[in-house]
Amino acid sequence: MPQLEATPTIDYQSDTYKDAYSRINAIVIEGENEAYDNFVKLAEMLPENKDELISLAKMERRHAKGFQACGRNLEVTPDMDFAREFFSKLHGNFEKAAEEDDIVTCLVIQALIIECFAISAYNIYIPVADDFARKITEGVVKDEYTHLNYGEEWLKANFDDVKERIETANRENLPLVWKMLNQVENDARVLNMEKEELIEDFTIAYGEALANVGFNTRETVRMLTHGLRSAA
Amino acid sequence: MFGLIGHLTNLEQAQTVARDLGYSGLADQDLEFWCSAPPQTVDNITVTSVTGQTIEGRYVESCFLPEMLANRRIKAATRKIVNAMAHAQKIGLDITALGGFSSIVFENFNLNQIQRIRNITLDFKRFTTGNTHTAYIICRQVEQAAPKLGIELSKATVAVVGATGDIGSAVCRWLNTKTDVADMILVARDRARLQALQEELGRGKVMGLEEALPHADIVVWVASLPKGIEIDFDSLKKPCLTIDGGYPKNLDSKLKHPGVYVLKGGIVEHSLDIDWRIMKLVNMDVPTRQMFACFAESMLLEFEKWYTNFSWGRNQISVEKMQAIGDVSIKHGFKPLLSIVES
Repeated sequence: MPQLEATPTIDYQSDTYKDAYSRINAIVIEGENEAYDNFVKLAEMLPENKDELISLAKMERRHAKGFQACGRNLEVTPDMDFAREFFSKLHGNFEKAAEEDDIVTCLVIQALIIECFAISAYNIYIPVADDFARKITEGVVKDEYTHLNYGEEWLKANFDDVKERIETANRENLPLVWKMLNQVENDARVLNMEKEELIEDFTIAYGEALANVGFNTRETVRMLTHGLRSAA
Repeated sequence: MFGLIGHLTNLEQAQTVARDLGYSGLADQDLEFWCSAPPQTVDNITVTSVTGQTIEGRYVESCFLPEMLANRRIKAATRKIVNAMAHAQKIGLDITALGGFSSIVFENFNLNQIQRIRNITLDFKRFTTGNTHTAYIICRQVEQAAPKLGIELSKATVAVVGATGDIGSAVCRWLNTKTDVADMILVARDRARLQALQEELGRGKVMGLEEALPHADIVVWVASLPKGIEIDFDSLKKPCLTIDGGYPKNLDSKLKHPGVYVLKGGIVEHSLDIDWRIMKLVNMDVPTRQMFACFAESMLLEFEKWYTNFSWGRNQISVEKMQAIGDVSIKHGFKPLLSIVES
């Protein structure tokens, strides 16, 4: 039986690490900033839940600040232009849906896809993070489960009316996630985060979210594989 | 509620099964995809005991494939197992058997060190390798099938291939204390462990495989081999009962030889039909009733509400524990498979 390779030691101060970190750190900061904007927008769209959504938005702002501190700790300047470009398509789809008052698509993008993406990436990152970033990220990931839960509960409560709309939003947006993962594959590997591991954790988190919303196993697998195929 | 963590035997079969179960999106995916695929609950199972008691269970497909080991995708392989366990725990299963390679991968890569999976802390008490029941069933197969071929245990030599493994050592202990088998031959790679076993048993000859086979009236195969091995059937005694309880199967079942009888080891038959779909797809001869004994162990633990990791760790299986699981196996209507095929 082959043996499991030992985890290599990571030099957090090496130029290679810092270069990759400048993009990954920027993505995380930008992701949290956009999450803040998205929850503020959702609070306008769902006035009955305004207080809860604003409180979720504020958490995202705190997360962004935490991750900025992680960058400073390693003396890395985050490449924010890269990060804004990285999120531009998903961001564009959210904006378009918000303009059309399409709450379902907005929730699928922010509360399911982005939160699951964040949860899986943070969970994979924690064991390989530097000590400072590990503590920050462990705190953040706990909050993100709350955000995911908000989206799940809303979509579950309205499942019969919004099921088809969720499937459409999935079809339109999930392939973007696979493309985004491909885009950061090399940088993530420098941080000792493997793409297949990221995909697996994302599919677990997202599959569980879809199941909590009300989809059966067969529908969940179909929705996941659809995203994968479209990205190929 | 009990659980079974299973996997398919190769990529081709996985694609076929995915298609048959209606997961069309999975059917045309390659190994790369399976390396990233999440565990899934794919079957709800209802089992009724001959006592009339009924229990519910879930079948969790881990999406592990043996090709992951062959292609050195070790990390992927280990993730499949712990993720399936986390999934089983998350859906509230009380006792879950680690089928096929799951327990082998768990033991071999010391996955007990990985207790934290995302926001879940694995509670190992909820899992069992099922090896105690497997070892018990193999022993009962030896005891019940041999007389059918005119082999008297009191005059027979039994060779155990993989004698120092978890199941192999348990089989040796049982044969040593519960039967009047004339002689035992212990075959394994690790000399030190062989010696320790020999000392524990107080008997048994240590031999290499080729040397052992011509002496054996019964051969029990429980080695952990990457693929089936070819043996010189001419060298075997006639008749010879071979019980293949290895996973994957130790013998190439396509080989034919008169006087050599092959019995699928570690398989049980239930007295009543079981309502499940998954066994129809994993090459059991009577899919509504036959299954791996390790799976049946989680059902037995559920019937008896013994919510504990009954089989866990290496070489911990005592004759008393085999007897205990054996007693409830009989009580609930499980029988060792005894359909002998002349190879």
